[in-house]
Amino acid sequence: MTLFQIRNLSVEVPGRRLLDDLTLDLPAGRVIALIGHNGSGKSTLLKVLARQMPAHGHVAFEGRPLSHWRARDHARRLAFLPQTTPPAEGMLVRELVTLGRYPWHGALGRFGPADHAAVAAAMEECGVTRFADRLVDTLSGGERQRVWLAMMVAQQAGTLLLDEPISALDISHQVEVMDLVRRMCHAQGRSAVIVLHEVNMAARFCDHVVALKAGRLVLQGSPADLMRPAALQAIYGLPMQVLTRDDGLPVAIPA
Amino acid sequence: MTATRTILPLAAAAACLLWLLAARQLPLPGWPLDPEGMSLGQIRMGFGLMPRGVIALLAGAALGLSGAILQVVLRNPVADPTTLGISSGAQLALVMATIFAPDLLAGGRWPIAMTGGLAAAGLVLTIGARRAFAPVTMVIAGMLVGLTASAVATAVTLAQGQYLLSLVIWNGGSLVQQDWSGVRNLSAVLALGGAAAGALARPLRVLSLGAEGAAGLGLNVALVRLAAVVLAVAVAASVSAELGLIAFVGLAAPALTRSMGARGIGPLLLWSPLVGALVLSICDGLVLAVEGSGGEMFPTGALTGLVGGPLLIWLLPRLRGSTPPGTETAEGTAPRLSCPGRLLAVVGLGLITAAALLLWIGRVPGGWAVLDPGSMAAFLPMRLPRLVAAAASGAALALAGAMLQRLTANPLASPEVLGVSGGASLGFAAVTFAVAAPSGLMLTSGTMAGGALALALLLAFTARRDMPAERVLLAGIAVSAFASAVLSATMAVGDARSWAILTWLSGATSTVSLAGALSLAALAVAIWLGGLATSRWLSVLPLGPSVSGGLGVNLRLARLVLIIMAGTATGAATVITGPLSFVGLMAPHLSRRVGLVRPADHLTGSALIGAGLMLVADFGARMAGFPYELPLGLFATLIGAPWLIWLMTRRPG
Repeated sequence: MTLFQIRNLSVEVPGRRLLDDLTLDLPAGRVIALIGHNGSGKSTLLKVLARQMPAHGHVAFEGRPLSHWRARDHARRLAFLPQTTPPAEGMLVRELVTLGRYPWHGALGRFGPADHAAVAAAMEECGVTRFADRLVDTLSGGERQRVWLAMMVAQQAGTLLLDEPISALDISHQVEVMDLVRRMCHAQGRSAVIVLHEVNMAARFCDHVVALKAGRLVLQGSPADLMRPAALQAIYGLPMQVLTRDDGLPVAIPA
Repeated sequence: MTATRTILPLAAAAACLLWLLAARQLPLPGWPLDPEGMSLGQIRMGFGLMPRGVIALLAGAALGLSGAILQVVLRNPVADPTTLGISSGAQLALVMATIFAPDLLAGGRWPIAMTGGLAAAGLVLTIGARRAFAPVTMVIAGMLVGLTASAVATAVTLAQGQYLLSLVIWNGGSLVQQDWSGVRNLSAVLALGGAAAGALARPLRVLSLGAEGAAGLGLNVALVRLAAVVLAVAVAASVSAELGLIAFVGLAAPALTRSMGARGIGPLLLWSPLVGALVLSICDGLVLAVEGSGGEMFPTGALTGLVGGPLLIWLLPRLRGSTPPGTETAEGTAPRLSCPGRLLAVVGLGLITAAALLLWIGRVPGGWAVLDPGSMAAFLPMRLPRLVAAAASGAALALAGAMLQRLTANPLASPEVLGVSGGASLGFAAVTFAVAAPSGLMLTSGTMAGGALALALLLAFTARRDMPAERVLLAGIAVSAFASAVLSATMAVGDARSWAILTWLSGATSTVSLAGALSLAALAVAIWLGGLATSRWLSVLPLGPSVSGGLGVNLRLARLVLIIMAGTATGAATVITGPLSFVGLMAPHLSRRVGLVRPADHLTGSALIGAGLMLVADFGARMAGFPYELPLGLFATLIGAPWLIWLMTRRPG
């Protein structure tokens, strides 16, 4: 099944074309990595998919054109995490996660038992229950990122869009957060589209890779398709070497 | 710069033509100028019109240079002596010196204007330094400092009586000249300033990499910044000292230069003075043309203000790079109350007690008195409407401020910045001038209509896609600037009607009726209920548009609803308090600082605190100058402004 159907998608800002006539299908139920060099359009594509940015062309989400979705219906099916999470001044972890229920109860609806249950489950799933009564701004980077993930989980959306969720974290928290995202998707049948900088992270934690270069598609396939010197050179324009770890996983380094 | 080749000569020709149009009735004097042997017409030409034409060029060039330097050093395309409060600071210093220490003026106006301008610039830069010189914050801080300075100047003007109205006229920025001394002074300033700017051009180019990058290249960032800002202030302040407040030429000149294709700092510094000179000359030529037929004095500075407001709006979408996240946060982690209900109840009770007390006690000649039941019955119909109106307007402004601060995620947002007050002032002024003897009802409806119009403008602006909320604040500032320009133009007429406007501008509750007060109170309650109903929006919106949009909040609708509520509250409160009070900025902050965090608590707390602040201000306004009453809005400003400045210059954390 197709999650996103993208046809002839272009995004232009004055003087530059960020996405150039992109045509692409993203499969459902997978953890999809969006990779590419700086300025390749990967973040732009994610923002278009999340309806954060206007574009020319046709994009359908779950078979319906993006513009036909009502804002709250869209948010019930799809959750988006921006690259830099804003400061949540004075907000408790529990309150931030509770905001994830907005698509379900709206501005005036009742916050019912189902909402309470969803918030509790989301905090449990992301392992932030013990922080529930702490201020978000007092948590460490990795903990805070898990809290924001919990907010997305509370949205009960089938699809998660994450814009460089690990770029500000140290290596252990990077692995922790990516591990959590992967588990969440595989255990609950969710789909995820993740913009990643690190090609090894993409190969290790994702099921499907989409690579962009200068706003065009260069590669789409499995991590195995990605981890070949020729493919990596095509994406990054740099000779790369692929080594094999003891457990058989490939690792890419600049040659 | 291909466009320059056609546009600049055309503009120069237009400026010359306009001046010649004004000059054609007057005979040319012989050279050298000697008043002894000249006819009256020749004197008017040689010592009036000719220096006026030259000084327009010089002042325009000086302002263009000052604006270009400020925009480069602050890396902020909307910086100029007006938006950073420098001109208002200079103006306040001159007003103060005129009244309290006229001897100081013997040494010339320039040192005093310079001191005032530097003080204002220093304040704005201190605030900006706490927030990484974020462009929007700098402009908001500059406008707040400027508004405060004008408020204090107005207060002093009011306190000293009508003869100071000439100061108001000077504030409008008139280019009328009686001799060549102004030309001599300004040409010296321009020559020195130009040379200094040339010397600073290269360090400024390095500084355009940003502070860290420039420091990495071995530049003494603080020194260059200081030198450039002092230079820009000195140049702008000398124009202020010579001619008064000429708004927005410093903004327009670099913007036009850039749109004509000047790239880099050298060309910008070179061409901006030229463009500035032409802009001011054309404006002054238009004023001369109008004056030639009407004969009434109309300050040129007011005309440049008319151009400046729309220009600022035009520039907004071109403002690149929004504020880096987190830099707008005013202070560190605020406390958080576990039981906000208890505190709210205490504040509410305190408010009621205070209101009751204020009803009973009062000042009598020779001391204080508690009213006996007999005099109570006599005083109640006078005091009650005042108290109700003051409290209600305080609550309404505080609610508007709390909503705006949450909507824009900017702690400096406030109703004063929204432009609604400015529009309301214009409405009041329009009625005062259009109708011979306006009734109170006409004035009120005129004020409301003006506020509504400004609001409609703002809404049209908000309705555009992807318009970040902070830009909406800038649009509000543009509306305010436009309004104040028109006001200074109308005030310059200088008769009793100007006096009526000046009085209202500082805010007066003494004329309000009980029905009016009660309807304002009802409105405040309605806005509070509306705020509670939208509290989910108010908790999501501070997280920014991408998170709010991701959660399915209908951003356009939410902004529209909240701005309508905030605008209505502001417009209604403005009728009572005048356009400036700072309660809308202070109350939400205080409420936040005492630990009211969740939107519903925050709103309620802000409303209660706002009402309390306004009651205190009203009491102070009645008692401080007994038996005379000081204007309410003015008194609130005098309390609010120092606190606000303290708050903004404090180190975060």
